Order: sequence, then structure tokens, then C-alpha cells
Amino acid sequence: MTDTQTTATAETTTESTNTKGSRDNNAGNRLIGKPFFRRKKNCPFSGPRSSDIDYKDVRTLSRFVSSYGKMLPSHITGVCSSKQRELATAVKRARHLALLPYSSRS
Amino acid sequence: MSFYEVVFIVRPDVATNQVEQISTKFADLIKDKDGKVIKTEQWGLKSLAYRVKKHRKGYYVMLGIEASGSVVNEVERQMRLSDDIIRFLSIRVNAMTDEPSVQMAPPRRRNDRGDRDGNAPKRPTSSRPNANPATAPAAAE
Repeated sequence: MTDTQTTATAETTTESTNTKGSRDNNAGNRLIGKPFFRRKKNCPFSGPRSSDIDYKDVRTLSRFVSSYGKMLPSHITGVCSSKQRELATAVKRARHLALLPYSSRS
Repeated sequence: MSFYEVVFIVRPDVATNQVEQISTKFADLIKDKDGKVIKTEQWGLKSLAYRVKKHRKGYYVMLGIEASGSVVNEVERQMRLSDDIIRFLSIRVNAMTDEPSVQMAPPRRRNDRGDRDGNAPKRPTSSRPNANPATAPAAAE
């Protein structure tokens, strides 16, 4: 009885961590021996085919900013630390040029 | 001599040709001081993310220049004095290309997304009107 209960809770935690819609069909197999499965996040700016961080590219920058206009932490977006620092300056430049809000209500 | 990007926002209540006048004025100023203007981009009238000097919109202009730092200081001083310019930002960049920046790209529509590898979306050539004006009238005949 207790066993089924623990597996049920483990499954619910996987669902909540995979909010980004990862297509994991065999998540159950990988869950053996682990409390829950977390997909490895890759930095969207490092790697051979990634784009540069540009303060003019509002469309890309807005993906790393919350709906209130604050920058999202890198442990949520998966940006590596050096790129996160670059991203921070880019967001600050875009804010200065009124391309991005300093804060927004919605 | 290094490369700089100077972006400035012009008040929305000036005439459109006056925006070009202002940008040529600064381009001439840079050229007078032995600088090179590599590109000039008019991003057009855009709405600001917040109010700047009571304005909700503004004309964005970007100058890509190659000049020394003292030229940039002088340009910034002139921009501070100008009443038409409500905001400016000049930054040094490592390299400059002739390609237009992302702001010059046409606004993307909702289902105008590329494939998973990040390639540009395939769009039918016929959907672009007057893509080749030389052949368009000939086809109509």
C-alpha cells in the first residue's frame, strides 16, 4: 500500500518538473532507482549552432524575462553562467532603450 | 579607431523626414571628425516599453560607426543637448557587418516559425507581391 503511494507521488513530481513539455515516453524506465527524472538543460547560447546575445533582439531576450519584466534565473532557463552575465548586460541595454520594460504589471 | 553602435530615439512628434535630417546631421558630424559611418538603420516609429520624457512612442535610429572615442563623446554631448532626442545608447562592438540588424527584419507572424533545427521557415515565393517587378507585368499579359 505504501509502495504504490510513493510511486504515485514520484510520478506527480516528474509531471511538475517537466513543465516545458519534454517528449519523454519512457520516463518510467529512467525513473528506476531515482526519486524523479529531470531532463538535462542545455545552454541555448553555447554550442556550435547557437545565436549571439544581442540587445537589439527583443524577441530572444523576452524569452529570458518573466512576465513582470524581471530576468529569469539561469537554473530555470538553463543558460550557462558566462552567457547569463552577457544576457544580463543585453537586457539592461534593451531596458535603457525602452525596448524591454524595467517592470510591467501583467 | 574602434567600432561603435549608436542607437537613439527621436521624439515621435517630429516629421518623418526630420528624423532622417537628424541622423544625417550626426553622420556628417562623425565624418567631419575622421570617422566612418558604416551603416544607418531607421527602425521606424516604435512604441516604447515605458514612458520616456512623457512620450509613449519614438523613432529609433541606429548608426554603425568606426571612430575614435572622442568622436563618440562629442556625438553623445550633442545628443544630450538636442531636444529632439529623448534617449540614446552608444556601445563599442568588436566587429561590424553590413548586414541589417534584427530590428530591420520584418515582423514575424504567429505560425511563421522555423523547423526544429533552427532553419528559416520555407515560404512560398508567390506570397510575396512584387518580389520581382520585372517579371510580374509580363506574367499578367
